[in-house]
Amino acid sequence: MFFLQSLLSGILTGGVYALAGIGMSLVFGVMNISNFAHGDLMMLGMYLAYFAFTLLHIDPYVSLLLIIPISFLFGFLIEKVFIRQIIHHPHQNQILLTVGLGLIMSNSTLLAFTSDPKILTTSYSSSAINIFDGISLSVPLLLSFIVTCGITGILYMFLSKTTTGLALMATSQNREAAQLMGINVAKMSAIAFGLGTALAATAGALIAPTYYIHPMAGHSFLLKAFTICVLGGLGSVFGAAIGGIIIGIVEAMASTYLSTDWKDVVVFILFLAVLLFRPEGLFGKKGEQ
Amino acid sequence: MNKQIAIIALMAGVAAALPLMTGENPYFTGVMISVLMMAALSSAWNILGGYAGQYSFGHAAYFGAGAYTTLIFISRFNLNPLLSIVAGIIVAGIIALITGSIVFRLRGHYFGLASIAVAEIVRLSVLNFDFTGGAQGILISDVSLWGFDLNSKNPFYYGMLIVLVVTLGITLFLRKSKTGYYLQAIREDQDAAASLGINLSFYKNKALLISAALTSVLGSLYAVYIRFIDTTAVLDLRLSIEIILTAIIGGVGTLWGPVLGAVLLVPLAEMLRSNVIGDTLVKFGIVSASSGLGIFLKENLAHAHVLVYGIITVLCILYLPKGILGLFGRGK
Amino acid sequence: MNQHLLDIRHICKQFGGNAAVSDVSFSVDEKQIIGLIGPNGAGKTTLFNCITGFYPVTSGDIIFNNKKINSLRPDQVCHSGMARTWQTVKPLASLTVMENVMIGGFSVAKSIREAEDIATEQLLLVGLTDYAGKSAGSLPIGLKKKLELARVLATQPKLLLLDEICGGLNITETDTILSIIRDIRNKGATIVFIEHDMKAVTSLCDWIVVLNSGEKLAEGTPEEITHNPDVIAAYLGGSQNA
Repeated sequence: MFFLQSLLSGILTGGVYALAGIGMSLVFGVMNISNFAHGDLMMLGMYLAYFAFTLLHIDPYVSLLLIIPISFLFGFLIEKVFIRQIIHHPHQNQILLTVGLGLIMSNSTLLAFTSDPKILTTSYSSSAINIFDGISLSVPLLLSFIVTCGITGILYMFLSKTTTGLALMATSQNREAAQLMGINVAKMSAIAFGLGTALAATAGALIAPTYYIHPMAGHSFLLKAFTICVLGGLGSVFGAAIGGIIIGIVEAMASTYLSTDWKDVVVFILFLAVLLFRPEGLFGKKGEQ
Repeated sequence: MNKQIAIIALMAGVAAALPLMTGENPYFTGVMISVLMMAALSSAWNILGGYAGQYSFGHAAYFGAGAYTTLIFISRFNLNPLLSIVAGIIVAGIIALITGSIVFRLRGHYFGLASIAVAEIVRLSVLNFDFTGGAQGILISDVSLWGFDLNSKNPFYYGMLIVLVVTLGITLFLRKSKTGYYLQAIREDQDAAASLGINLSFYKNKALLISAALTSVLGSLYAVYIRFIDTTAVLDLRLSIEIILTAIIGGVGTLWGPVLGAVLLVPLAEMLRSNVIGDTLVKFGIVSASSGLGIFLKENLAHAHVLVYGIITVLCILYLPKGILGLFGRGK
Repeated sequence: MNQHLLDIRHICKQFGGNAAVSDVSFSVDEKQIIGLIGPNGAGKTTLFNCITGFYPVTSGDIIFNNKKINSLRPDQVCHSGMARTWQTVKPLASLTVMENVMIGGFSVAKSIREAEDIATEQLLLVGLTDYAGKSAGSLPIGLKKKLELARVLATQPKLLLLDEICGGLNITETDTILSIIRDIRNKGATIVFIEHDMKAVTSLCDWIVVLNSGEKLAEGTPEEITHNPDVIAAYLGGSQNA
């Protein structure tokens, strides 16, 4: 009984994790950059959802209509102003730039809104649906999962059916070849980063009703997002989706059968195991390191 | 080489004389201890990061290993502080060997991430075990060594200075040794290095062990100095990042870069924290104490030092990627 | 019967479904210079990477000095006496020319002094003595190739694998490098040479192995190879600089 409950909760949470992972994977695939500010972008999404709710009285799921374009633009601009300058620098410096940007984001938020955790409580925050025999699903989690599926579907359509989307995928496969085929890879980078940011912010907004919202909230998701990317295969959007669900399940199981204190440790050990034994992940390209 | 040794000796001499010259000013000594500690931490990191080119994002694990092991041995087993420090080195060494065997096969992005994962596993484990004090941390009462009471600051000032000098000395020695050449080859091009007969794992692990041992000693000193530690103070990712940023801003891969970074950043952070900057602006009439800006500064600058670090980092990577001393080439 | 210095037996290397090298066999005796030629993508560099421990072979054996070396790491391969240069030169950029070659020398030297002496000797041999203090990254391509050669020679190898050492060089630079190689050869070195420049290959090599699409197409003396119709066809109907 516990098993099924954990499994289902895990899948639902995993869906949101998957969004964060997909965003990171896109950035990695197209730009070959590890974005250490990814968690902080999620945190910004949480705050956007919170203020949309408390100031504008918009439900978090509806506020996505605002959050997605705003965060896409934010990411797009960050890429153009900052990331672009260091595209040919050694990767350690790229990481450190994103670290710096992340610190600016989290600490500006800290200065602006203090470290007191904010709580976003909607009318259905603690509702649950009983599906059968003692298994209940949290309504916010369920809604988040449904929204995530919708967004992933739209993203899939975009990436596989539109010119820009296909160009993105081509750049992700082989940047040089894409450039030789006439694709504006610089523009692809900006779009990828914008998309990655939007996905991170969306993930943040979706979990906002179920987490404490505070400036450092993004940090615990950062390593998890990387784990998902690596598990799925860096650069593979589909892989990141599956990876997210797997991590969600692993976490839920660890919480139930070990304790919530150890759930992160289990995820990180899984991360190291993947790096050691299958660094290309489930769907990544072999030999890519 | 001799010139560098002379400079280290000169700096050590000046630093040693400083507490005597400035009189018994505990606040100043305290800040200087922080400067020396961060300079030593960044210099130790630099051996692995700047010379071997392996950026560890999880060095707090070794700092914490030293801190926790030392305090546990002192408080639970009543062990002599010096021996406790040695115990800390052993624990840090074990963690380093385990980490090295996992992460050094990995290249590029993966290495940094794996080092964070290891550090977080250590932190969470320490947090979750009662034996290590859990969330409450560990508190010890007065410590003495050979009859000397260790409750004042000066012993720790000199302790940190000694570790810094030792670290710089080791760095200098390595640079002109076969190991140093090999580490730099690894940094420049791992494949070329391997094709020239360099055992990558062996040398990376060697650099890591040296770096981890030095970091651990600093953690132990910190623990006995403050006499209270918890995971936030000694095992946090923020500490690991701060160590790296200090080295980067000063100049990674140079001898004095990390020291310069610490000398600039630690006092800056302290000035922000204690609102010296805000008070100075008011004193010079640039900002009025009762204006909106004045009040904002007074309340918030104290929390802003990490934000300032972030801004400096971004500016540094964009405009000074080799750090301040990097402008002068690697020789320094 | 003489034992070969290097014996490649039925080497196969697969990447996923792609067979980069299929059933390649040949041998190298001491003091020989063997040319390894073939169109781009024939698998020559992949073969070098397999031989020197950078790629694990899918199947087949590499016997060097009577020892099977399949599972050795690249650094171990170097210590056993086989050294290679890189098709895209790999200077240790922020180190000086002297330091680069010293690092090669450390694999056999027992002290810094000895490494310096070995390095000085090799720099003299290739004509880079005047550049000893310059940063390796600042050199033009021709000198970088010389540096690559000096560095690998400092490891005092029994067998030298050169991967397109003339690539990207003009005629003068090529001649210089070739004369250095002739020098080395006259001192008794054993060399396997990947090269596109047919003039260089035919003038230097005792024996030529031709790869095409990962398979061994032919082997023989330069005379035989330049007149082999399959070889000529593989190079798309043109005989290059023959």
